[in-house]
Amino acid sequence: MERYDIAIIGTGPGGLEAAITAKIRNKNILLIGNKNLSLKVEKAHTIKNYLGIPDAAGEDLTVRFKKHLADMEIEITEDKISSVYAMGDYFALQGADVMYEAETVILATGVVLGKPYPGENEYLGKGVSYCATCDAPLYRGKTAAVLGFSPKEEAEAAFLGEVCEKVYYFPQYKEPVELSKDNIEICMDKPKEIKGEMTVNTLVTDSGEVSVDGVFILRESVAPSQLVPGLETEDNHVKVNRKLETSIPGCFACGDITGTPYQYIKAAGEGNVAALSAVAYLDEKKRKM
Amino acid sequence: MVKVINQDEFDEVKNSDLAVVDFSAVWCGPCKMVAPVLEEVSEELADVNFFNIDVDKNMEIAREYNITNIPAILVLKKGEVVNSQIGFAPKDKLVEVINSSK
Repeated sequence: MERYDIAIIGTGPGGLEAAITAKIRNKNILLIGNKNLSLKVEKAHTIKNYLGIPDAAGEDLTVRFKKHLADMEIEITEDKISSVYAMGDYFALQGADVMYEAETVILATGVVLGKPYPGENEYLGKGVSYCATCDAPLYRGKTAAVLGFSPKEEAEAAFLGEVCEKVYYFPQYKEPVELSKDNIEICMDKPKEIKGEMTVNTLVTDSGEVSVDGVFILRESVAPSQLVPGLETEDNHVKVNRKLETSIPGCFACGDITGTPYQYIKAAGEGNVAALSAVAYLDEKKRKM
Repeated sequence: MVKVINQDEFDEVKNSDLAVVDFSAVWCGPCKMVAPVLEEVSEELADVNFFNIDVDKNMEIAREYNITNIPAILVLKKGEVVNSQIGFAPKDKLVEVINSSK
């Protein structure tokens, strides 16, 4: 498998600037994200403080970003990374269907809005799970609640339905639910809290309580500590220093994921720093070999 | 070295001064990723016994230890669970979890 020098996750201003800087430094990069770059940039009405481009509309900025990438021959790999594993000597990135490998990683996935449910962190690994395919067989003959944040999670609920005795499915989106299985109940009440003793036993909703052995929370975007197991975070942001190093050597972060202010130019500036720190890390590593 | 055992051999875990047991399964991605990292850790911590149990084939012991998510890496001191790491963790974190149980 090809092992990249730097894998950059995210195609907002932070990730793009990191890619451009790394490319200038002649590194073999993997830029993972969306070919349409960032919805957050595209939707911006006007950005007044982006240096050199006054009153830029988000759409206009997106066009310019795309041109900059094309001019530098930087390609975007369209994929969604669900986990980044720090293997020691390298990082393994789990995409939708394939695994990628890189010496260093720059996290530029933006900020995750929304707070964890009360009890979610406390019972993580004690009945709260983010991975239905991982943990489903442990719930054979048991009862599970599934909180699906997009229609594609219905497949996960159906999978759980095959092993569990009973599945309560809580759609957290507006589209109609197309799940029909005798042992899967669609619940429209709002999940509020996860309770238990040693392990989870109850999901509290706005209209009552449901007895469950486990709660699967399947969100669209994953929190940084979930994306990179073992990563230190602070209030849902990745903990970084001035060099934008995270708590895991070889892993860097830039943009909104590192905290406020959530500004385009700040993200781009951090992308530059993160890439240069990654380059320095690679050079250092090479010297030691 | 991480020794693969089944539930009938669990006494070996209980009789260890300090044991680390990795409850995992072949279909679990994070389990697959943490295995080589744990192997490395086991080379470094010679005074600790490392075991691996496939939960699919050993459901009873998984139930006994309330395993609801995998990988579940339990640290046992003379047979008592003293610490655990649920899910993948980098090497430093694993070493810390184990050493803090000593």
